[in-house]
Amino acid sequence: MDFLVFVKQVPDTNDVEVDEESGTIIREGVESILNPFDEYALNLAIRLKEETDEEVEITAISMGPPQAKEALRKCLAIGADRAILLSDKAFAGADTWATSCTLFKAVEKLGGADLYFTGQEATDGNTAQVGPEMASNLNISPITYVEEVLDFDPDEGTISVRKETDQGYMKVQGKLPLVLSCMTPPDFEPRIPGVKEIMAAKKKPMETWGSEELEGSSDQFGLEGSESQVISTYPPSSKGPGEKFEGTPEEEATKILQRLESEGFLDD
Amino acid sequence: MAETQLSRDDEFGLTEEQQLLKESLLDWGERELPLTRVIKMNQEGHPYPEDLVKSMADLGIIMGTVPTEQGGSGLTWEDQMLIADLIGYIDPSIATAAGFMAVETGWGFTLNRYGNETIQKEFIKPAINGEKFVGIATTEPGGGSDVAGFECTAERDGDGWILNGEKTFISGTEEVQEMGGAYWVNVRTGPAPEDAPHKNMTSFCVPVDADGMNFQEPYRDAGRMAISTGGFIMEDVRIPDEYRLGEEGKGFYYTMEGFDNARMLIGASSVGVTRRVLEEAADYIKQRETFGKPLAKYEGIQFEFVDLYTRMKALRLMYEQVAKMQDTRYEEAGYGDVEGKPKTFSPTDVVRWISMIKWKAPHLAKEAADKAMHWLGAAGYSDEYVFETAWKGIMSYCVGAEGGANIQKIVIARETLGPEFMPYK
Amino acid sequence: MIKIDRDKCIGCGVCVDVCPVDALSLDDDEKAVVDEGLCTSCGMCISPCPTDAIETKLMAQKADTSDYSGVWVFGETIDGELSPVVPQLLGKGKELASEFGDELATAIVGSDVKEAARASGSFGAEKAYVIEGEEFEQYNTLFYSSALAQLIKEFKPRVLLFGATHLGRDLAPYVAGQLGLGLTADCTELSIQEMDGEKLLLQTRPALGGNVMADIVCPNTRPQMATVRPNVFSPPEGLDNGDPEIVEREAKIDPDISTVKILERLEEGEAGASVEEADVIVAGGRGVGSKENFQLLEDLADTLGGVVGCSRPIVEDGWIPKSQQVGQSGKTVSPKLYIACGISGAIQHLVGIRDSDTIIAINKDPDAPIFELADLSLVGDLHEVIPKLLERLRGENGS
Repeated sequence: MDFLVFVKQVPDTNDVEVDEESGTIIREGVESILNPFDEYALNLAIRLKEETDEEVEITAISMGPPQAKEALRKCLAIGADRAILLSDKAFAGADTWATSCTLFKAVEKLGGADLYFTGQEATDGNTAQVGPEMASNLNISPITYVEEVLDFDPDEGTISVRKETDQGYMKVQGKLPLVLSCMTPPDFEPRIPGVKEIMAAKKKPMETWGSEELEGSSDQFGLEGSESQVISTYPPSSKGPGEKFEGTPEEEATKILQRLESEGFLDD
Repeated sequence: MAETQLSRDDEFGLTEEQQLLKESLLDWGERELPLTRVIKMNQEGHPYPEDLVKSMADLGIIMGTVPTEQGGSGLTWEDQMLIADLIGYIDPSIATAAGFMAVETGWGFTLNRYGNETIQKEFIKPAINGEKFVGIATTEPGGGSDVAGFECTAERDGDGWILNGEKTFISGTEEVQEMGGAYWVNVRTGPAPEDAPHKNMTSFCVPVDADGMNFQEPYRDAGRMAISTGGFIMEDVRIPDEYRLGEEGKGFYYTMEGFDNARMLIGASSVGVTRRVLEEAADYIKQRETFGKPLAKYEGIQFEFVDLYTRMKALRLMYEQVAKMQDTRYEEAGYGDVEGKPKTFSPTDVVRWISMIKWKAPHLAKEAADKAMHWLGAAGYSDEYVFETAWKGIMSYCVGAEGGANIQKIVIARETLGPEFMPYK
Repeated sequence: MIKIDRDKCIGCGVCVDVCPVDALSLDDDEKAVVDEGLCTSCGMCISPCPTDAIETKLMAQKADTSDYSGVWVFGETIDGELSPVVPQLLGKGKELASEFGDELATAIVGSDVKEAARASGSFGAEKAYVIEGEEFEQYNTLFYSSALAQLIKEFKPRVLLFGATHLGRDLAPYVAGQLGLGLTADCTELSIQEMDGEKLLLQTRPALGGNVMADIVCPNTRPQMATVRPNVFSPPEGLDNGDPEIVEREAKIDPDISTVKILERLEEGEAGASVEEADVIVAGGRGVGSKENFQLLEDLADTLGGVVGCSRPIVEDGWIPKSQQVGQSGKTVSPKLYIACGISGAIQHLVGIRDSDTIIAINKDPDAPIFELADLSLVGDLHEVIPKLLERLRGENGS
């Protein structure tokens, strides 16, 4: 059985700061990490592999600059069997549509898979679009906001999952192949690769494919292949700090009371 | 646990694997040993939590330098020193890094070298898996640094030995009783010659549950409370000859090698403790204001901070050097060949370097914790912050644990000025 | 791709520093030039330029889009009723439709949705395009997408907006994929900008976890699609419209295209007002300290007629259900009053509360980031301040 996991290397948004004067992102000192939702998706794929008697090969794929190899090596250490980096100048500047098309070409080259996993969204782009757009390219169903796999029957080719909805949760079932966009549940503890796993990752296959290997035309990739375009990027407008006060609890309670009164929250 | 600019190790050129290992350890530290747990463990005291032992075993870092064929991870000393550094960083009470890891990894590696297959099967492999504890027992009431003062004895008895005597200030006595395991014990198998008191000492691997092993109540240490310090009396403890380590009478030399391996890990761990202390202190002095300015703006504090930082970086370089020397030493001598001799460095070259970091690194960590407490004032004296925990823990490795600082200085004097200048000669 | 106006450029070099791919440099005349091979069109150089010398070069027009007209809102329904986000989008949609000179319409797929279609009229929809059928009783991505694509192909709307609900963010990208369209996610502002002689929908959204805003257009593809964050826009009030014109079509769906079905609904959260609809929210973070201490916040919320919310760590510790989590991975809220107690203000949380009218924050740490956003910041211990506040409130109200 083949599982494909789509992953992305992203800046650690917890560390990102905006320079107050110029309004620009401060890039120094920001680490690059494996997108946490993709990490969960990979963990989920590995768990399914471990729980089934079937032989499963897990391939991690990422479209990114050469540095994204680090994230892929981590995927191998966590438990993927194989990794492929899609890297080429022609892929740069892609929106989610061009990204999905590029990833799709790689999937075509690999001959498809039985189950596709990806994180619900990337913590830098925050679009959550690549999962369903990939499903659309593959003409199969996506299941989004997947928090947990409840049942996986490889013989029947069915899987049932718990997914999040606006009202709560749902139990959903489908037949393979499917694209699962995975959302990290609150109590999740990711696998931490130990020495053995890290050493093993060194020997696992990692390839890099460019536009030549994917045999696409340049208007399918990158900036040229995108259908949405960024006009400008800027820091959000500050609501701005208001009044700040430090005093005794009594004094502070009074301040709050005064504000509630003046804003009309106490007119009952 | 994200790295800060202060912790960046990029300048040391980590390999891809070392980078991943570092990430794993920092993630493990954030999950299993946040500072709140470190402080709590220090308050509650031993025994050392078994879940932590298990998760370290799962990571494959206990006795990591033992070759894979023998159940270890086949790491280099460079890798293992990096791990020691990170564990000191994660747990600045040093209970994990020194009390547990340096003993298991440094002494365990050496025990494995001089022990036979039985010892390996019964103690080494389980210790690597986090199921048993292996410790070191050299100190006696009569002497710690002065080996001539040793009074524990072993007498032949048929195909075995009978051991008698008392060992004190031994790390991990509660843990070894809880988990099971053995101690590397040094005893006299012959009288101490006047001019060479280190001769006629033999090393044995003594199982903790052997008949006649009487463990005493542990001491109340000043710090690193999460790991116990205790002692035991051997009353006619009978063990088979196959538990003897190496050759009869040569125990002293093997023990010195064990000390080398444990001490260098203490050195690296102390660098990690220093780095953590400086990071936590930096956070505080950058934010806390007095007389209208953050503490970090005051030169008195700033200059002390950068002095500590500079010396920490120097020690980081030193432990890198030590790691490389040890890797070369074992590669050339051959780990499996106990008679093998290294070519590039003599063992005394290595001992000189190891003594330097075993002396300097814990003292720097202690000084950093001390100064940090001064910067913080009353807050630093409370256990809300980690500084007093670090100070009390690291003191152990300044005054005596794994070798007193003053002994390290004598060793360096011997190697630089000459053995004829030894004070006790 | 960007273009630089050399007359405006003063060679300050700010854009060179900002470019994340080093595509910009200063030439011998001290003017900024761009390496088109490297530029990824991220747009980061545009706003910092002190003389507005940099502009985005719109991608070349590939297709004729002049015959697309109409601003559509996807009429998501829950149990036959319009989801609360739909009226919000119709309110904004009316503004856009007016400026485009287009009709405002809803596009609804479901079973038994005529009532909802009619209801959309009271929020300004002039038409409601409907595909009804039993196969749409349960939401299914492929079925709904097929139906919607069918309507799009026939009626050619200029703009199609979805609520960025879980359903919307599942359906919209699939539709976009099927039709090869540009799609912008989770917009917090929509406006119209004229570029290269054409009025385009300008889609504004947060990125990088809320650290930046991006303005985006889809010049080539129609409809211009966006999912829009709930509770950012308001439903129109006081409209006196009648029913919209219902335009119905039959779907030609092959039921074998999808095997996904819903087995069970597992709702969660307390029965009570949701954080999204509340006017007053009293929210707690790590500083509250324990599950039991949240009672203080409950009491305050009750007294003020509001609900309790929380930040992510509280949900992770299992003290409060996820349905009350406020922030990027929880709910975005825009109450009249948001009282943040013991919440430090990680960016992911701030992103969810930015649109609150009044934010009051109580925190022990004088440097807590939440104080940057709050209208009234109190540096203190919530465990002491809130009881005092409750005392006064109860005293004032005589209860």
